[in-house]
Amino acid sequence: MANDSSERILEVRDLVKHFPLTQGILFKKQIGAIKAVDGVSFDLNRGETLGIVGESGCGKSTLAKVLMALERPTSGSVKINGRDIAKARGGELKRMRRNIQMVMQDPYTSLNPRMTVGDIIGEPYEIHTEVAPKGDRSRRVQELLEVVGLNPDHLNRYPHQFSGGQRQRIGIARGLALQPEIIVCDEPVSALDVSIQAQVINLLERLQNEFNLAYIFIAHDLSVVRHISDRVGVMYLGKFVELGKDTEIYDRPAHPYTQALLSAVPVPDPEGREQRERIILQGDPPSPANPPSGCRFRTRCWKAQEICAQEEPLLQIRPGTGHESACHFAETHDVVHVS
Amino acid sequence: MNKTSTDLSPAEVTPGDEPLLAVDDLHVEFHTRAGTVRAVNGVSYTVGAGETLAVLGESGSGKSVTAQAIMGILDMPPAVIPHGEIRFKGTDLLKLSEEARTQVRGQRIAMIFQDALSALNPVFTVGWQISEMFRVHRGMSKSEAMKKAVELMDRVRIPAAKQRVHDYPHQFSGGMRQRIMIAMSIALDPEVLIADEPTTALDVTVQAQIMELLAELQRESQMGLILITHDLGVVADVADKIAVMYAGRIVENAPVYDIYKTPAHPYTKGLLDSIPRVDLKGQDLYAIKGLPPNLLDLPKGCSFHPRCPYRQDNCESTAPQLYEISGIRGSACHYWREVLDGERQQ
Repeated sequence: MANDSSERILEVRDLVKHFPLTQGILFKKQIGAIKAVDGVSFDLNRGETLGIVGESGCGKSTLAKVLMALERPTSGSVKINGRDIAKARGGELKRMRRNIQMVMQDPYTSLNPRMTVGDIIGEPYEIHTEVAPKGDRSRRVQELLEVVGLNPDHLNRYPHQFSGGQRQRIGIARGLALQPEIIVCDEPVSALDVSIQAQVINLLERLQNEFNLAYIFIAHDLSVVRHISDRVGVMYLGKFVELGKDTEIYDRPAHPYTQALLSAVPVPDPEGREQRERIILQGDPPSPANPPSGCRFRTRCWKAQEICAQEEPLLQIRPGTGHESACHFAETHDVVHVS
Repeated sequence: MNKTSTDLSPAEVTPGDEPLLAVDDLHVEFHTRAGTVRAVNGVSYTVGAGETLAVLGESGSGKSVTAQAIMGILDMPPAVIPHGEIRFKGTDLLKLSEEARTQVRGQRIAMIFQDALSALNPVFTVGWQISEMFRVHRGMSKSEAMKKAVELMDRVRIPAAKQRVHDYPHQFSGGMRQRIMIAMSIALDPEVLIADEPTTALDVTVQAQIMELLAELQRESQMGLILITHDLGVVADVADKIAVMYAGRIVENAPVYDIYKTPAHPYTKGLLDSIPRVDLKGQDLYAIKGLPPNLLDLPKGCSFHPRCPYRQDNCESTAPQLYEISGIRGSACHYWREVLDGERQQ
């Protein structure tokens, strides 16, 4: 759990990532851009978890890639411990990357089938040789296997000899190898069986406490995000529409999109299912190449008025609400009436 | 929705107590080089008109194989059905000739597949694919069938159906594609609709749209709906009754309200307990220990015993039958009484 006095480790300001749309073969002309991430700002403290939720195509995964410096942002900054990874090059970038690691979504495709588990987890040491001297590596790898709850003797096995949940543990061990301070988890449990998900979530929480890790936890399962996150950001078409503590987002959502999203989540309890409030959004999200003017959510919003088309609502604390939201008509409304 | 076809032979008419569709002690095996995979080991369930049965289970539990056996779309070989009956209005489908089966498949019992993008043919327009149902099964002309396709796309609420009927699957979003799948499956007014993870690949907002659409169509036409899923939330929302599958068996069946309030099998209970709960934030989630079993080599006795907190000695030797708890509930656990009385974990 984070407290306010804890140290800020990640500072993201006005982050923008546009992918150009071009026309022509020889003389490429830019005719537009997919605005995947379009002005995102947030902070992350040591040992804290920020959950990011939103529909597919809202820019969650692009955001993760930009944070990892796998994609260069179009503008904006990503400061890790005060230094901007988006501007870092060469040796400096390499050193900074040690500090931010990623756990991928699909444990079936994110592990090289031709490498042994030992090689997979030990590969970060090949790149960052200063972390572990050569003779020390296999001992380190075995330690990591033990930390994530796998048998350290399975060093020489291949990924296909493990189940989905075990593979995700291997992915987590690889993420931990360089002792990063931040781990970006992009849908870490969505490819796993229900009975295995809880095991992996517990592991992630235990590791966070043990190593004081900060997590960016991207997922579409809102109940899992709530369980693990200290704060939650809701994304829609490349922007945060709401950002706040987990209780603020889940119990007092202020943005209509958050309310619709929460009300759409099926509650695993049939009691009172007839009376439950359900906001069913019509249609699909608009294309990020050509987002609506003003508020991006207005085309699906039941509160939309003229001002929504003209003026873009900023992410700020609105009257009557205790946390930031980007809606002209923000109003807290408890949609999930569960304890 | 009135059925237009009245081609029921007298022998087919449902007797008073026979449900619309009944699966009875179904076994499905796959003979592979590595050995015999016992995917389904004695599954029985029924679904009536207008009723929603949810089949809940993780991957490899046999829920989809059972559905494929009902549809008659299993590849045989390698699949073998050594034992069991699938009765549709009293007629055992497994004893029908392939021709008679074709009459049932798609017309009387239809199915929605999980991944709409790979289930649709990318090189034909959606209109062509929907209208194919009418051309093949009803012998309509192309233009007539195309008109029907537009009607159907309207019915599943695809905007501007008249224009979009000429579009290809890749021009639609995931939710719209799933609507097209639904349009195809309800084209011939089936009496039973099997939906195999219809919303797994979709966002929650779109999932809500699709589930609402299915419920509406079911109300209109009184279809029996078999919903195959692993999502405890979706099940709680729409099901009338639930069959929980584990390692090719039904471990518990019950009306939806009973199962969530008082699960009677340790596996069901474990699943329910592992759902993140608001009041338990910051604590460890309850996790079922271990891994799902290998279907090539199922554990002796009860398949769940290596992971079960209620395990006793006889669980390792004797496989529990589906004990009757009440007329409408059953649990395949020797110690269902203890589970029923037991505290929820945590």
